[in-house]
Amino acid sequence: MSTPEPTDGAGSEGPDRAAVRDRLDRVTDPELDRSIVELEYVDAIEVDGDRVTVRFTLPTAWCSPAFAWMMAIDARDEVETLPNVADARIVLREHMHEREITRGVNQRLSFAEAFPDADGDVAAVRVELDRKARIARQYDAIEALLEAGLGPGTIVDLTVADLDRPADRAAVSAADDDAERIPIAVQGEAVVVPVPAVPLDRYLEKARTTGVVSDSDDVLFRTPEGDPIDAGSFDLVHRRGRLAKVNMSSQGGICDGLREARERRFEEAGDD
Amino acid sequence: MYQHDGEDVFVIDAHVHLWDAREDNIVHEGGEEFIQCFYDYHTTFTPEERQWDMSEYRHYGADRMVEDLFGNAAADMGIFQPTYLTDFYDEGFNTTHQNAELATEYPERFVLNGTFDPRDGDDGIEYLEELHETYDIPGVKLYTAEWRGDSKGWRLDDEEAFRFLEKCQELGIENIHPHKGPTIRPLNRDAFDVKDVDDAASSFPELNFVVEHVGLPRLDDFCWIAAQEPNVYGGLAVAAPFAQNRPGKFSEILSELLWWLGEDRVLFGSDYAIWNPDWLVEEVMEAELTPEHRAEYGVEWDLETKRKVMGENAAELYDIDIEEKRRTFQDDEISQQFDLGDHYASEEPAAADD
Repeated sequence: MSTPEPTDGAGSEGPDRAAVRDRLDRVTDPELDRSIVELEYVDAIEVDGDRVTVRFTLPTAWCSPAFAWMMAIDARDEVETLPNVADARIVLREHMHEREITRGVNQRLSFAEAFPDADGDVAAVRVELDRKARIARQYDAIEALLEAGLGPGTIVDLTVADLDRPADRAAVSAADDDAERIPIAVQGEAVVVPVPAVPLDRYLEKARTTGVVSDSDDVLFRTPEGDPIDAGSFDLVHRRGRLAKVNMSSQGGICDGLREARERRFEEAGDD
Repeated sequence: MYQHDGEDVFVIDAHVHLWDAREDNIVHEGGEEFIQCFYDYHTTFTPEERQWDMSEYRHYGADRMVEDLFGNAAADMGIFQPTYLTDFYDEGFNTTHQNAELATEYPERFVLNGTFDPRDGDDGIEYLEELHETYDIPGVKLYTAEWRGDSKGWRLDDEEAFRFLEKCQELGIENIHPHKGPTIRPLNRDAFDVKDVDDAASSFPELNFVVEHVGLPRLDDFCWIAAQEPNVYGGLAVAAPFAQNRPGKFSEILSELLWWLGEDRVLFGSDYAIWNPDWLVEEVMEAELTPEHRAEYGVEWDLETKRKVMGENAAELYDIDIEEKRRTFQDDEISQQFDLGDHYASEEPAAADD
């Protein structure tokens, strides 16, 4: 995380836009498990002293209000973790419920207060989407382990502690790139295998959020239902992880397509 | 019949509509939002030069539908899947009765499905019986996200829904097509959740559950249910047009479906008039799985698989004798109208060296 710097011009003590952007990069579209910055949902970041305004647009005007709500709340909370931000204001645009969401998030209402008619429970939706994101991230983590040469029997027995980076065994970088690797000891510490850290860290973060692991001696990888994986069902569980990824990217394809169609329409309207 | 590398492929478009979204049929703002949302899906996944304008999209009529389906022999038959939406549209959006205009004129070319809504209670049971008596419907399309007064949807595993499924079984209505797919404004996303199919399918093993739109955006939940329930099928509508502008994605989705369900449980559907078989069939037939997906999943999109997905699987569910249809279509009214006799001419498969 970069250190926030004063903005230019005003000479105020507020954050710079890059720092805000870095925070927003942690916010994901819950259905796609991809950053809202990477997905280009963020249209504008405005800094006025210690007040920040973020404007964002989703691919479709009828994108689930619950999803839009989650992104708006997460964006507000992430930006407000910056020490020099007193207040983050979120403005959703081009959405069928832009007024309810913008008002609700900025007035710090609950989803039920912002949407008295809604029959969905936003917390339950978040749990379900987090669960799917965890399954998809597990696929990437296990792919990295398989590629590093670990076998299914070893992988299903790994615990949270196996991803520790002990002070006496510093993280290693391979010669061909700068990606951080975690040294994972296998065969009773006889062999240490360096594995790319990013997919493992991403998985562990979601495994913790979803509560499938908490203690350091917990078994790391789980079935979609949250149970430890029996070595005999390793392949099937891994297939289900692949499927969760395909589902997310398929939905991403629909969202991308709808956004392109909408942009074309705006361009045509602009030409008239 | 579709000609593919010198081979004939009999195409049953298992998901078509004859709808009416003209302004004077709309009685609720939801009706306007619904057709606008359909139109966004249409333009998103239709080649630019094949896109319709909004006025023809609202109401295209029976003649145009016949030409779009059969004019260039892209499809040989169509299965009507009604979408009532009577809270939004005065006469309904796409009812069995509306579809019957064409289905009764060309009974050999169309299959006419009905519907039920458990929220209608005893009146609904009576209506289902009426559809059975009037049209001898072999299947029902179910829209669990349909609004009815204050209700924004229903579930297939409700007790009341089971009563209707029992009635279907009793009447011999074997094919159940729940729409479980992308959200359509203004309908509630959660009412399209596919999980209720699981209990219904295991409770009614003699019925076939064709999940329309393969559960997208819940393909993962759908495939996992289908892997365990042998009477669950996947309808390709919505996934199919990925072939046109997301070929890599299409390859991946189809590979997953073939891996989890196998080649006997996937059915092609265009979702006409959201997409038009007159170009879509070719896109799907000519699509290829990437070498990476073929290696990873160990599945093929070869002639045999295409024949099953594009027609034979639907024929199996609907007791359609493809060879008999082929003979009938040599000189039926539609073949005469579009000069298609040659497409159905060769009765027996040609010798291998011909």
